[in-house]
Amino acid sequence: MRTREPLSREAVVGLSLAGAYLLFTAIFWAYPFFWLAKLSVTQWRFFDEPVFTGARNLLTTLQDPQFLQALWNVVRFLAFYLPIAFGGALIVAFGLRHVGRGKGFVALCFLLSNVSSGVALSLVFAKVFSSTGPFNTMLFDNFGVRVPWTNDPTLAMLAIALVVAWKFVGYYGLILYSGLLAIPKEIYDAARLDHAGPWKRLTRITLPMMNPQLMMVLTFAILVSFGLFTEPFIITGGGPADSTATPQMMIYETAFRRLQPSHAAMMSILVALVTYALVQLARRLFERKVVLA
Amino acid sequence: MTSRREALLLALGGAAALAGCGRPAAERRTDRILLWIAPNAAEESFWKVAVARWNAARLGLPVQFTTIPTAGNSEDTVLSALVAGTEPDLCTNVFSGFAVQLAALGQVVNLAAMPGYDALLDRRHMRSIMAGWQQGTQVAALPIYSSPTLLWWRADLLEQHGFGAAPATYDDVYRFCERYAVRQSRYGMQVIAGRAWQDRWFDFIAYYYAASGGQPYLAGTHALYDNAAGRQAAGFIDRMYRRGWTALDFDAEEPLVSGLAAGAVRGPWDVERFANIYPETLARITVGPMIAPVTGTAPASTFSDSKGAVIFRSSRVQREAFAFLSWALGEEALNLLWLQRTGLSPARDDLLINPAFADYYRGNAIARAYAANVATARPPALSEQTIDIQKIMSARLVEPLMLGSASPAAALADAVARTDRMLEVAA
Repeated sequence: MRTREPLSREAVVGLSLAGAYLLFTAIFWAYPFFWLAKLSVTQWRFFDEPVFTGARNLLTTLQDPQFLQALWNVVRFLAFYLPIAFGGALIVAFGLRHVGRGKGFVALCFLLSNVSSGVALSLVFAKVFSSTGPFNTMLFDNFGVRVPWTNDPTLAMLAIALVVAWKFVGYYGLILYSGLLAIPKEIYDAARLDHAGPWKRLTRITLPMMNPQLMMVLTFAILVSFGLFTEPFIITGGGPADSTATPQMMIYETAFRRLQPSHAAMMSILVALVTYALVQLARRLFERKVVLA
Repeated sequence: MTSRREALLLALGGAAALAGCGRPAAERRTDRILLWIAPNAAEESFWKVAVARWNAARLGLPVQFTTIPTAGNSEDTVLSALVAGTEPDLCTNVFSGFAVQLAALGQVVNLAAMPGYDALLDRRHMRSIMAGWQQGTQVAALPIYSSPTLLWWRADLLEQHGFGAAPATYDDVYRFCERYAVRQSRYGMQVIAGRAWQDRWFDFIAYYYAASGGQPYLAGTHALYDNAAGRQAAGFIDRMYRRGWTALDFDAEEPLVSGLAAGAVRGPWDVERFANIYPETLARITVGPMIAPVTGTAPASTFSDSKGAVIFRSSRVQREAFAFLSWALGEEALNLLWLQRTGLSPARDDLLINPAFADYYRGNAIARAYAANVATARPPALSEQTIDIQKIMSARLVEPLMLGSASPAAALADAVARTDRMLEVAA
């Protein structure tokens, strides 16, 4: 019979260090995760014992028009957000390349919007986009029109996308900037020798070489979209006509206002699955392996 | 060297120790009443005095109070406490819809079944107010205060445009708007309070109560507001928007300060805000009734933003807690103290005829205006589906009227049909 060798001191230290993390994960991730999974297939209203109901929550959620509308709203949000976020982030990245002194300070300024309070900036933008706010007053004084930023379903989503983009464009720009720095200068020199113009260099060298960073930004953008809460909650309240209601708002209201945590648990699982599926789809469609031979 | 077995035991021991750090569900005490109150300085100062008097006079089981331990929403905190088993015996700051939800979940006691309940209603003169808080024989919460929503008007602007008194009817408002409003620049009145579902309490529901004489907008699984009063209220909103007499929103600034709008629905809680931030504007404010199609002899009904107290079913001192609540709400001296400390009208219908409060109201015109409406103001419909009812009201009635995408009749019919369908499914 083979006897087990005692653990070395190094192994004990390693296990202890890893154990703290595993314990933390078990308490704050695994336990809530399994509880969520249990809730999603049971009927529970905070104070009673969960009763197994099988697929009832799933069917209820899939037939809930408000939840489906909220998922569709994420797609509508992405349609506005992706072009604004990518366009803005590329401008930041290319702009930073041309900054001489104080590059660190400029980069820090871009990050400030990212670390600022979502509640505070939402309150500010709610005033900016108001039909009687400064932006509309300026438009009215100069052009005689007022734009119903937060009262028209399409414009309201555009307004939310602009606010969220303002928050994240600097952060995304820094990610793209790191990609730009990693492209060897020699490749551009060779392209110039081959008489490649700026557009060709951008589309054939720069963007393909930045694919990992672009994919990272795309993944972050999808995650942000499905996690949206503060901005629509404060600026539009989900309106008009639920056109800016998001899945996170639905989950919150269902769990803590309608007091239906089981229904909310199923919603959160579905949102997680849809998010994962969309990220995977994006990777399949756009991810390329970048190898410098 | 340490064996694998020892390492495993160490890990399990650590986990067990950590698990043991959690607070067990609070043991129910029988030697005192635990009370949670609204987390604001004004109410805290009232309860401090009330509890001290109760404890000093040894009128019953001692009371220990704290503010609801919340950084945001009281409802969330109460719910978390109930799940964790750390709820108090008695809790204030509960709105009627949340009380109904708690009652449906079996978490609060029926206060109507408590000894001394009827005596309290008589002593506090609150029978007319209780109609909006009672479901059959069930009373989940007792209203502590009632804050009617009324219209604030800039008296100086009214005068400049030939109005000696605040508008009381739709026609008054239309006449004033014709004189005051300048298309897309200056508006007669803020008609819609905001976009959130709660905002319907401060616009359509208030207008509906005023037009219907305080009739309910919901009965069981049926919405009732597709009727003459609903059509009048919706027609008013529609006309104000179609004529450009109101804006889509007033989020950028307080419209009464600059005169961007000359009138707006405001509650008594706004008095302190204006006194602190816009004292000069407050001095120019005159409080008018909730506008209605026509005026009658009694004040027009309006929406009442009220908060009440509940006793949790888990409490082992329910009767003692009710005795304290009864005393705190029933004592006239304490009602006066409440009024002086918070400025919110106690939920009693004799505020302007009871000599105990005469001095307070004599020198306070705004408070007097609110007090005059306490008896006729109505709380929201008692329903577990408050959010969905008012979300439908927003999306299918108010927003189409704001944008002019539906006629008042069509919007009302659509909103009511969708509400009925939702309530049937929920039932």
